[in-house]
Amino acid sequence: MAERTPTADRWVYGLAYVGLMSALTLLHIMPIEITRGALPAPDLLTSITFAWVLRRPQYVPTLLVALVFLVSDVLFMRPLGLWTALTVLAVEFLRRREANVRERTFPLEWAMVAGVLLAMTLANRLVLTVFLVNQAGLGLSILQMIITILAYPLVVLMSRFVLSVQKMTPGETDARGRPR
Amino acid sequence: MARDNGNSNDYVRPIRRILIGGLVLFLLALFLFWRIDSPRAERLRAQITDRIVPTFDWILIPVTKAAGMIENFQSYTRIYDQNQELRRELQQMKAWKEAALQLEQQNAKLLDLNNVRLDPKLTYVTGVVLADSGSPFRQSLLLNIGQRDGIVDGWAATDGLGLVGRISGVGRNTSRVIMLSDSNSRIPVTIQPSGQRAILSGDNSVLPPIEFIESPELVRPGDRVVSSGDGGVFPADILVGHVAQDKDRRLRVRLAADYERLDFLRVLRAMPKEPLSDPGGLIGANSSAPQAAPPDADEGADG
Repeated sequence: MAERTPTADRWVYGLAYVGLMSALTLLHIMPIEITRGALPAPDLLTSITFAWVLRRPQYVPTLLVALVFLVSDVLFMRPLGLWTALTVLAVEFLRRREANVRERTFPLEWAMVAGVLLAMTLANRLVLTVFLVNQAGLGLSILQMIITILAYPLVVLMSRFVLSVQKMTPGETDARGRPR
Repeated sequence: MARDNGNSNDYVRPIRRILIGGLVLFLLALFLFWRIDSPRAERLRAQITDRIVPTFDWILIPVTKAAGMIENFQSYTRIYDQNQELRRELQQMKAWKEAALQLEQQNAKLLDLNNVRLDPKLTYVTGVVLADSGSPFRQSLLLNIGQRDGIVDGWAATDGLGLVGRISGVGRNTSRVIMLSDSNSRIPVTIQPSGQRAILSGDNSVLPPIEFIESPELVRPGDRVVSSGDGGVFPADILVGHVAQDKDRRLRVRLAADYERLDFLRVLRAMPKEPLSDPGGLIGANSSAPQAAPPDADEGADG
């Protein structure tokens, strides 16, 4: 097949997204390094989802994101549903701004993603505090957020050059700027 | 913006918004359910984990083993030093072994003289570590043994030498061990030789602090810490580790279990102690008690 249709692309990349997320989840729960060092690993699931939704929103339908994150909530021993709800809200927020981001430079996009991650982390902590859930130190969650933000350009580079998830070009959108 | 998303789909956006709102509400309701009925939600989590993780053990175990091999290979560079160190330690161990053997014989003689009966029920089930919690905020492990092997919530897991944690969450084929370093872990311990009772409370670090010590001046770094069995959850006298002092002069425990290499865990079968609820009526004080007792004894014999 010389030319793939947008619908076929959507299916292929949707499956690729699920596969990537499953592989990362399994990598996370592998008992390789049980006692963690000083630095927590970046939250790649969240940052890859953001990078994809800002490039090809049609590849990551919100329901799929919710499903993937719900499974990770279950496996990572997180409070069920809370981080998924925050991710769904963030993905919807970013999806609506995808058309704007398409024309801006990368630092602006990075700043926006950093803001969204900060809001998610704070909201997560706030809700857990209000509901009196026992939680780990504030420093650790802030540190993980910073590492996730710092890793975001790498995630974008990998998405772009390895998986060729690029920003849409005018030829790929209809007259209103929506994906065909 | 000129190319703001469409006017033609005026009816799609509100519907989409309602659907997304419904999804978020459902997820928040799930969170509330988790918060309100935590035991049931955790049981649900254990069941889902039980379904998902064992289907991936064909990839989890080989990759984990390969990573372990790479780690071991790196340690070959220090092999000469390690060899020397091991020889020295072996020499010390031989001395200790001799002392231990003599003590064991002496102990056996004394136990025999006093007719002491040790608890014969403390046996164990060994499980392979399948996965960890995958998040830096939780310290737990998933074992490949569960309900079908008779695992029960609350049993102790050791790595053969020291305590690792307790079972919390049992599925059919898997069970989760909350490690002593998890921030939700609280274990009653005794510090020997002073006999102080304390609580070992995890804080996500490898050196969990000791809390609620009555007289800390009696505790020295290097003292042994064993589980105390208070509260009836844990078997008593399992080695936990040794006392250490951090920079703030706070007492912590250096765990005896090797948290870097947890491949197999032993789960100790702890049988619940028979509760002594009956005060044991005085002879003749209650005339109905002797009459009620024989039928009970018969039922016990039949069943």
